[in-house]
Amino acid sequence: MGFQRYLDREDKDRDLTEEIQSHLAHEADDNLARGLSETESQRQARLKFGNPLTVRQRVWSYRSLPLIENIWRDIRYAWRSLRKTPGLTIVALLVIALGIGVNTAVFSIVNAVLLQPLPYTDPESLMRLVLFGPQRTSDVASVPEFNLWSRQTGVLREVAGYDTGGAGLNLTGGDHPMQVQGVHVTHDYFTLFGAPVIAGRTFTAEEDRLHGGNIVVLSYGLWKQRFGGDANIVGKTIQIDNTPYLVVGIIGRSFVTDTPADIWIPYQFDPNSHDMAHYFRVAARLQPGVTIEQANAQLKLASDQFRREIPNVIGPQNHYGVIPLKEWTVGDTRTPLLILLCAVALVLLIACANVANLLLAKASGRKREFATRVALGASRWQIVRQLLAESLLLSLSGGLLGLLVGYVSVRLLLSVNVGGLPRLGKDGAAVALDARLLFFTLGVSVLTGILFGLVPAVSASRTNLLANLNEGGHTGVGFRSAHFRSGLVISEIALALVLVIGSTLLIRTYLNLQAVNPGFDTHNTLTMAMSISGDRFQTSAPVALMIRNGTERLKTIPGVVQAAAGNGLPLQGAFGMPFDIVGRPKGSSPFTGGAGYYSVSAGYFDSFKIPLLRGRTFTENDDASAPGVIIINEAMAKQYWPKGDPLRDHLQKAPGDKGPFAEPSRQIIGIVGNTRDGGLNRNPFPTMYIPLAQMPDGETALNSRVAPLWWTVRTNSDPHLLVAPITAALREATGGLPVAHIRTMDEVESLTISRQRFNMLLLTVFGASGLLLAAVGIYGLMAFSVEQRTQELGIRMAMGAQTSHLRNMVLRQGMILTVFGVVIGIGAAFWLSRFLASFLFGIKAWDPLAFILTPLLLGAVALAATWIPAVRATKVDPMTALRFE
Amino acid sequence: MAKNQTSDAGDILQGTLDLLILRTLILGPAHGHTIANSIERTSENALDVEQGSLYPALHRLEDRGLVSSEWGVSDNNRRAKFYRLTAKGHKELAAATNRWRRMTRAIGLILGESN
Repeated sequence: MGFQRYLDREDKDRDLTEEIQSHLAHEADDNLARGLSETESQRQARLKFGNPLTVRQRVWSYRSLPLIENIWRDIRYAWRSLRKTPGLTIVALLVIALGIGVNTAVFSIVNAVLLQPLPYTDPESLMRLVLFGPQRTSDVASVPEFNLWSRQTGVLREVAGYDTGGAGLNLTGGDHPMQVQGVHVTHDYFTLFGAPVIAGRTFTAEEDRLHGGNIVVLSYGLWKQRFGGDANIVGKTIQIDNTPYLVVGIIGRSFVTDTPADIWIPYQFDPNSHDMAHYFRVAARLQPGVTIEQANAQLKLASDQFRREIPNVIGPQNHYGVIPLKEWTVGDTRTPLLILLCAVALVLLIACANVANLLLAKASGRKREFATRVALGASRWQIVRQLLAESLLLSLSGGLLGLLVGYVSVRLLLSVNVGGLPRLGKDGAAVALDARLLFFTLGVSVLTGILFGLVPAVSASRTNLLANLNEGGHTGVGFRSAHFRSGLVISEIALALVLVIGSTLLIRTYLNLQAVNPGFDTHNTLTMAMSISGDRFQTSAPVALMIRNGTERLKTIPGVVQAAAGNGLPLQGAFGMPFDIVGRPKGSSPFTGGAGYYSVSAGYFDSFKIPLLRGRTFTENDDASAPGVIIINEAMAKQYWPKGDPLRDHLQKAPGDKGPFAEPSRQIIGIVGNTRDGGLNRNPFPTMYIPLAQMPDGETALNSRVAPLWWTVRTNSDPHLLVAPITAALREATGGLPVAHIRTMDEVESLTISRQRFNMLLLTVFGASGLLLAAVGIYGLMAFSVEQRTQELGIRMAMGAQTSHLRNMVLRQGMILTVFGVVIGIGAAFWLSRFLASFLFGIKAWDPLAFILTPLLLGAVALAATWIPAVRATKVDPMTALRFE
Repeated sequence: MAKNQTSDAGDILQGTLDLLILRTLILGPAHGHTIANSIERTSENALDVEQGSLYPALHRLEDRGLVSSEWGVSDNNRRAKFYRLTAKGHKELAAATNRWRRMTRAIGLILGESN
């Protein structure tokens, strides 16, 4: 009803105006009747009525909604006041936009990675199955383990296995074979993740058994792209590696998986398998009402049972358990993201201090305005409210700007580098402008508006009426206010120093990582993946032959120096494999040890320039008919033969294995240099190499099915120039197999430190922003102070003060603030840097270089920022300054 | 502070003015000018207010549903807005008169005692 009254008020005002006219006319009629002249009658009537405008105003204000109108008026005043000082407003807006922008950017990543629930129904009950150990938790499973977990129906349901990465598969049958991302899954996979089937169906349990037939489920993308959205594709057969596969269904576009898949193929595990190869991941749902603790307790019991059934596979201290899928997916990215979030909060604090300083400076110039308002009857609250309206208008517009800047820049950043972060999708597509992000930015904007607006507002409302009105325009900063502003600048410097020290530590870490010798020559090396999943490559001999043909063909290309193939690349991480040293007692443990494990072709070490330290490398003669040989790396030699000679010993790979890895022991024939396969920041671990040609056939079949073959080509110039002839040669030599993931080793190396680079880049940007803001802050304060003291400086000059003396006076003032800020900042950084410690490499958290050089840098910036106002102080013309009054 | 004092005094006046308007309208519908003159006459010019201040009061009363209004033609043959007491207005007048009587009686008693 109140609102209706508000909407009606224009009509009612017109009505009232007419009513007043009528009243005046009647009164004039009476006056005429009393014998007054016409003009006098009307004059008397008006006198008696009073001011019609006042009447209309009273009725109007009675019909108004004070809250809305006051807010609207405050906004209009605020807008007018901000427009009066465009320079200050623009600087403040930019500072706020920067502060809020970086927060929006980082929060949008935090939102996508940490906060968003998994895009599946009932995401809380989705678990990953893992093997907990005293040292590490392993998430790769074998078929017997999968079967064991599937039987735990009391606590788990929809237990599903799926490939760790996804094997490349070749879609053949067209003019151009195309390598696609094929993921092997068990039939429960689609139910578990609630995959939307838009046509046909998914696999049945029968089809997922051994010899269940060649069937495939297509992704929406591949269906559209490769098959033109053919509505009748379900029921047709397509060619995968020259084998016909029946298409049984299509999954909808909305289905998002961690490893993007083009097609899904059933695993078809053997239920009685004792195959101990660990090569896939398993996820499941908790049964309704079952807690994680209950599931873990049950799985621990199952571990004991498993240990009895198949001895010597899991250690006595290991046991199976579950970890929430989201937690496992997010992994160790949580802490760095939270550190980045804290860093941007610091940037925002600096920005707030900065804007508060600007507004204080502005408010001190407006004391007379406020005094006049108070004299005209404005209450203190009204003054505070108006100043808050100004700061909120600033912070909200800055926030809007920041939202745009932050969102656009984060998408740009992620399209260049997703920094090894999970859940972000291709080029960071999962980072969305959703309600949570909008609320975050809105909340931050309002909060900052109040934070930087409150102090100037309250201090302005404490005006001394008479003093200010009498000051006649010349206003100094109040003593308290000046101290407060100095305090703000000191904290800005301290916060900026913390940020800059943090980014220096990360920059040094990154440089140290880059300087690490990966153990081979990354330059002029091209690598690529080839899927060999077809029937041709189920035994080792054809694979070895194909590789030999391929390398020979590659070496005929001008510019190619060496070529080789292997089942993995240095730096990308290798499979793990247990081993025994033949004849050495191993105590209670099932194996002598475990090591990284590669199968490689003859030219592999040459091609990567991995140095041979002792013995010999593989030759083409180390084939299936020759005695078994193996090469180990330096780390393995040092760890297991601290005194003895490895070249005298035999190694038994996968001891006790009756599955695909079973083979006789091998003679150690050589020791090669270490490569850092666990990451540049990790020490090299024991690794062994066997010739591809000597692999057991069962192992080759498994490898061909679940992992690609990696080719490597060393060139004598930029390898990018040879991509076309190399891929053509390989296609020719292998009977038409395409290659994918074509990268130089330099690029691979750069990818392995992309997360460090990401964190370093972001923190450097934040540090630089903080430094810039602090510089603006100290410049602003000193410039303002010089302007305020024009008169004093003029008098000093007139009294014969040297210009250098005046300049140094200002510089000293600025430097005192800087020194205070630096001391506080060093203390804070010293305390905070411990949280960065686990992300550093090659330096200590209290790296002296960072803690000495960075404050010097900041001091230099502060000096430069103070220099301009200091020089201006010496340019004061005494006469003008004195006449200023 | 000064502003608050005037508005307190205004509130008292306001209630009184409302009462006087309702009292005037009990004699039948009237337009603003008639009401103003009538109040002036009957209160012996005790309420020395500008005639204009009548209108905000009239509009508020209309909003509260105590009076209704419609445009008509006056004795002077001019267009004028006529106000009429509603049923709710009648009730309110009775209640307000009672309140007023009780209050003046109480004030009278207090003043009588203190003398």
